[in-house]
Amino acid sequence: MDRERQIKNKMITMQHVAKTFVTERKTTRIIDDISLEVKENELVALFGPGQCGKTTLLNVMAGLEKATSGEIIVNGEKVTRPGPDRGFVYQTLALFPWLTVMGNVCFGPRMRGISKKEREERARYYIDLVGLKGFEDSYPVQLSGGMKQRVGIARAYCNEPSVLFMDEPFGHLDAQTRYLMQDELMRIWEKEKRTIVFVTNNIEEAIYLADRVIVLTNCPTQVKKEYIIDLPRPRDYVDPGFLALREDISSVVDKTL
Amino acid sequence: MKVSISGAKEKTLRQMKAEEAAKNVLCALISIFVFCLVWHLGTRNGTKLGELLPGPVETLSYFFRGFAANIGTYTMVGHMIWSFMRVFIGYVIAMLIGIPLGVAMGWSKTANAIFRPIFEVIRPIPPIAWIPLSIVWFGIGEGSKYFIIFLGAFTAMTINAYAGVTSVDEVLVGAARMLGADEKQVFINVVMPSAVPSIFAGLQIALSSSWGVVLAAEMIRSSEGLGWIIISGQNTNNNVQLLAGIIAVGVVGFASVLLMREIERRLCSWTERGR
Repeated sequence: MDRERQIKNKMITMQHVAKTFVTERKTTRIIDDISLEVKENELVALFGPGQCGKTTLLNVMAGLEKATSGEIIVNGEKVTRPGPDRGFVYQTLALFPWLTVMGNVCFGPRMRGISKKEREERARYYIDLVGLKGFEDSYPVQLSGGMKQRVGIARAYCNEPSVLFMDEPFGHLDAQTRYLMQDELMRIWEKEKRTIVFVTNNIEEAIYLADRVIVLTNCPTQVKKEYIIDLPRPRDYVDPGFLALREDISSVVDKTL
Repeated sequence: MKVSISGAKEKTLRQMKAEEAAKNVLCALISIFVFCLVWHLGTRNGTKLGELLPGPVETLSYFFRGFAANIGTYTMVGHMIWSFMRVFIGYVIAMLIGIPLGVAMGWSKTANAIFRPIFEVIRPIPPIAWIPLSIVWFGIGEGSKYFIIFLGAFTAMTINAYAGVTSVDEVLVGAARMLGADEKQVFINVVMPSAVPSIFAGLQIALSSSWGVVLAAEMIRSSEGLGWIIISGQNTNNNVQLLAGIIAVGVVGFASVLLMREIERRLCSWTERGR
């Protein structure tokens, strides 16, 4: 399908957002005036050096943390606190260990008062979509790392948010599983298109997945440069175009110790 | 797709567990047997120890005969039930007060500021210290026993409920909020479930301290219960009865711990410990 046609409406607008952490001894500026836009059904990767404030930026966009100044608008509404119109997938998984896969995926709809029959039906669809059919009654402790993150993705999807935020969702996985999960995310996203903002510290992951890569500077972080990735999908890690982009992005990234 | 593999793995794991359990039972039987043998040999006729301590045959046969014949006014089972009921009533009152108090202190800073000072003063006082006062307040009957068992149990329950609530993972709270939970829903669906293992740890500590307290209370003033068996054995110079009473305490204590673990296993099947 023609991506230009799909990507038209603005889904996220950030204007002059800054974030400063105040502790007893000092104040630390983490985000230094960032303005950006994300369009509907676009997959944007936020890429930057370690500890540069990517996660803080994502938390602020999602409403998990308050911005010190500036404004974030998601789907026409100003973000001031956490809310179900935005989904979040955590690096640390953050699954509810006392709930089964079904219980975790159903959690959002249950909180919002959707009937048991309807929410379980919907959860079954997403559990199936992420490839966990047959594991509905398993507890997270019984699943492998990759499977746990599939639950995390299904849980975020099942609430049917307008935007999905993913904070290094595959960061804790081994290399093999990570490649597999990247392909899985592509498959899921092709089937169920959503606006996704994806934080990663892995340059290849950013190029492999995203429509657009936003390169961030060191802390206090700003937007360094943006890259539109128009390589055809599925992408190939050793494709010359891929390698050229990788080279190009590597050269602009701030080096940290 | 992976069913056959995981199925096969599970079976071998189950077999390994069964083998391990069989081995443990065997070891337990051998160790109990050897213990009794040493005890028997040490206390056989003519030894110095034998004059002070009855042998295992005598003690165990007294213990088991106690299930049929009365010791004092009740059978062994009767005494167990007396002690159990005292523990049970004091313990349940402690649960009804201690757990909500701990949860409230953990959840609300105001509640913590109000109750914490009183609690911290009461906490280090051993429950036995309250026995004279409780007799003054509640008389020598059942009331005073319930009261000190309550005191012995509620501190551990409160402090563990408090710890469970305050140690809730903030990321999980954030995740629940992102999924649309309000404050009340966060409390019911995230804070309480994650506090359950800690609350259970408190219940188990409280259970063993309750048994300690009920024995002390019965030894001071009672005419039934396991504490009475022990103290009346001492008063009548009947060491067999005294030892049988001690064994009964061990058996009942062990049974109540098994019961608690089983309840925990059912309620907390999602934790490593629960499984």
